[in-house]
Amino acid sequence: MSAASPAADRSGDAIHLENIVKRFDGAQALSGASLRVRRGTVHGLVGQNGAGKSTLIKLLAGLHQPDEGRIEIDGQTYDKLTPHRVEELGIHFIHQDRLLVPTFTVGEALFLGREPRIAGTPFLDRRLMQRRAGEILNDYFGVRLPNSALISELSTAEKQIIQITRALLDQPKILVFDEPTAALVRREADILFRLIRRLGDEGVTIIYISHYLNEIEELCDHVTVLRNGEDVATLPLSETSAAAIARLMVARDIAEMFPKRSVTPGKDILTVDQLSSRGKYHDISLTLRRGEVLGLTGLLGSGAKDLIRTLFGLEPATSGQIEIDGKPARSVNPAQAVDQRLALVPEDRRGNGVALDLSVTENITLSSLKRFTRLGFLDFKSERHEADNLIRRLEVKTSGRNALVRTLSGGNQQKVAIAKWLSRHSEVYLLDEPTVGVDIGSKVEIYNLIGDLAARGAGIIVLSSDLAELIGITDRILVLFRGNIVHEFVSSQTSPDEVLAASTGSSETLRHVG
Amino acid sequence: MSVDIQLAPVIHFEPGQSDFASAGGGSLAAAALRAGSLIAFVAILVVFSLTAPYFLSVGNFGNVLGQSAISGVLAIGLTIVLIAGGSNVVTGGIDLSLAANMGLSAAVYATVAQFGYGDATAVAAALLTGGLIGLVNAIAVVGAGIVPLLATLAVMNIVAGLELVLTQNTVIPASTPLLTALSSSGPLGIPALAYVLLVFTLIAAAIVQYTPAGLRLYAVGEFPDAARAAGLPVRRLVAGVFIASGLCGGFAGILSVSNLSGSTTGSGEMLLPVVVTALLGSVFSRRLVPTVVGTLLSTLFVGFLVNGFQLLNISSVLVSGVQGLLILLVVSATTLLRRPEA
Repeated sequence: MSAASPAADRSGDAIHLENIVKRFDGAQALSGASLRVRRGTVHGLVGQNGAGKSTLIKLLAGLHQPDEGRIEIDGQTYDKLTPHRVEELGIHFIHQDRLLVPTFTVGEALFLGREPRIAGTPFLDRRLMQRRAGEILNDYFGVRLPNSALISELSTAEKQIIQITRALLDQPKILVFDEPTAALVRREADILFRLIRRLGDEGVTIIYISHYLNEIEELCDHVTVLRNGEDVATLPLSETSAAAIARLMVARDIAEMFPKRSVTPGKDILTVDQLSSRGKYHDISLTLRRGEVLGLTGLLGSGAKDLIRTLFGLEPATSGQIEIDGKPARSVNPAQAVDQRLALVPEDRRGNGVALDLSVTENITLSSLKRFTRLGFLDFKSERHEADNLIRRLEVKTSGRNALVRTLSGGNQQKVAIAKWLSRHSEVYLLDEPTVGVDIGSKVEIYNLIGDLAARGAGIIVLSSDLAELIGITDRILVLFRGNIVHEFVSSQTSPDEVLAASTGSSETLRHVG
Repeated sequence: MSVDIQLAPVIHFEPGQSDFASAGGGSLAAAALRAGSLIAFVAILVVFSLTAPYFLSVGNFGNVLGQSAISGVLAIGLTIVLIAGGSNVVTGGIDLSLAANMGLSAAVYATVAQFGYGDATAVAAALLTGGLIGLVNAIAVVGAGIVPLLATLAVMNIVAGLELVLTQNTVIPASTPLLTALSSSGPLGIPALAYVLLVFTLIAAAIVQYTPAGLRLYAVGEFPDAARAAGLPVRRLVAGVFIASGLCGGFAGILSVSNLSGSTTGSGEMLLPVVVTALLGSVFSRRLVPTVVGTLLSTLFVGFLVNGFQLLNISSVLVSGVQGLLILLVVSATTLLRRPEA
């Protein structure tokens, strides 16, 4: 391909983002991040959730504008990038979600937006589209697809190949891969890696974003590590390792913010035995005791989130047992789960955790209205009493029990979401990213609340990708990787980088297991 | 540095395989549905041919075509909106103002003709009316971001009101050379309207199914994010289809004046049959998407049903029941078949 021309000069920088600062509504997403990518190299970009990777990439795509900092592409400085300008510069993005029309044929999907016409007419040349599609796919990937195949009939990997091919048709100078292997099996990922190396050899500059550090190790020439909106290091892979990268990704100075508490765990309250859901997780067995806080973590696609959803009856399992207090309790819907005293505080707080346009009181009593009903009518007095009690106990900061939940801060909304289950007398709490989008002060209060719940004999499962937090507030941590529990840590005897390494499937920790 | 790669767990979910299985099953069922609808179509033709006198004749087929012309033009206009708006009936593309548009355009045509202007002026006025209504829809949907279902419902009411104001709820007779030509018979003794429908379908199909613009409409309707990622002007395309459908309404208005020798009230009754016809059309395509030819087939399907029932002296009331049944079947079948993709 003719993109090989810049290969001649590998000395200069393809991309140089310097001291980029970006704020959203007062929150600092990037605080002086730099990224310098040499021409014709494969450059890894890693960082924990919230480290600023996606913000940085969106800046490069022209979707956000930096508040401060300098953008230099191919030696040229730009005040402002627009999606259009970015395309002109030959920068292309391969996104996680495959943006292909399901009812299109492979040819139509490949050529959408630059369709060939039958010479001298306004009509589509479908035959040429199909023939070229076949040639290109065969040439780049050695893939043969039937001419009439529709996108909806392809596998995830094949769709990804089509997406990449679309970008290649534009003869890109810079290709950005955003978590490209999240949905691929190893054999498919290998095909992708071969292609990326070949593109690199042909002089295309590649930015490769992945949570899987072994992929970075395998594929990249250099890696930049982001943490808390800053670049903490840019290293050649020849001088570093996955474990070293993992250490760089995790900040350690916030361990003090986790209030320590000691609860002696009581009887088993929740037992999960060989629970499987096809394509999501396999043979998950775990035990949760009263007074225990169990951590759960894993990357996107690890199955951890699906497991939580299954426990709460939101997703079916294909096989396995769930017991609560020794009684079988596999719920087929949330109503059943609630009756079994399960409580879910979902990650999407504003969408599913609380009803924004109802009052604090209404939210708190929403799941337990039966308790506040006399002769078929709501007993407002006992409702108010319950709300006042819980507002006091959880220190919910609100102008009053009648305030709309919409008006509360994120942390206080989260407290209301938890208060709802306290009012229901739930005993097994499933907390999905309980402190996401919550300020530091409220975080500590929520940690205290979790400790308080445990002290009262509830069993708690916390799913979190904030590993320092997880280690700080849990007793044990289970790590899921591609659907299996790959490691169990005792929280007091591990470190964030150890847990991270396990959840990214990188080598060192797996040696312990193996 | 990376000796440990082989230690990385390689778990084979094989999502690819399961995807294939489900998609394969889906496309098989889709093929069955499509074949089933075609067989049903042919079966109805055969049954009527055997039982109804005169059914199987060039004249009768021509009649059905001619009688289907107006609803066919409207249904094709709606089909274009369905393509670019997506086939989700509630949030996707729909143009409920089409029938009312036809009524107002007809009234405008008849009024202009009555004032003594020629056909060219009257045609221009009718198409302009239709186009303007389409423009209002486009502004409401694309500019104000109102769901098409609601936007076009509101426009439908406005347009129906304008028609009442213009016609004072009476019949406006009209007679011009064009109208006479349209209501006459063409070659083979087949109504001129039948030829109009065929030519109109041909042009619409050529644009929608065979040009890049048409392909882009499908992308916009099926997966707007993909269309945006491909650099397509999504908003402009959506606005364009509402204007196109408005023009179809104007054109149908002209045809209806010729059919009824003037503008009459009650155009609104056409709306639901047209919506049903356009939705039904997607069973005639391999990918279960709306197509121009599919809509023509479904228009004729309904036309032949009505015609056969008439010839057999069966109450035509039953036709609407049969239509309702069909739409339930089709919508549930396509919904079920497409679910794995969603």
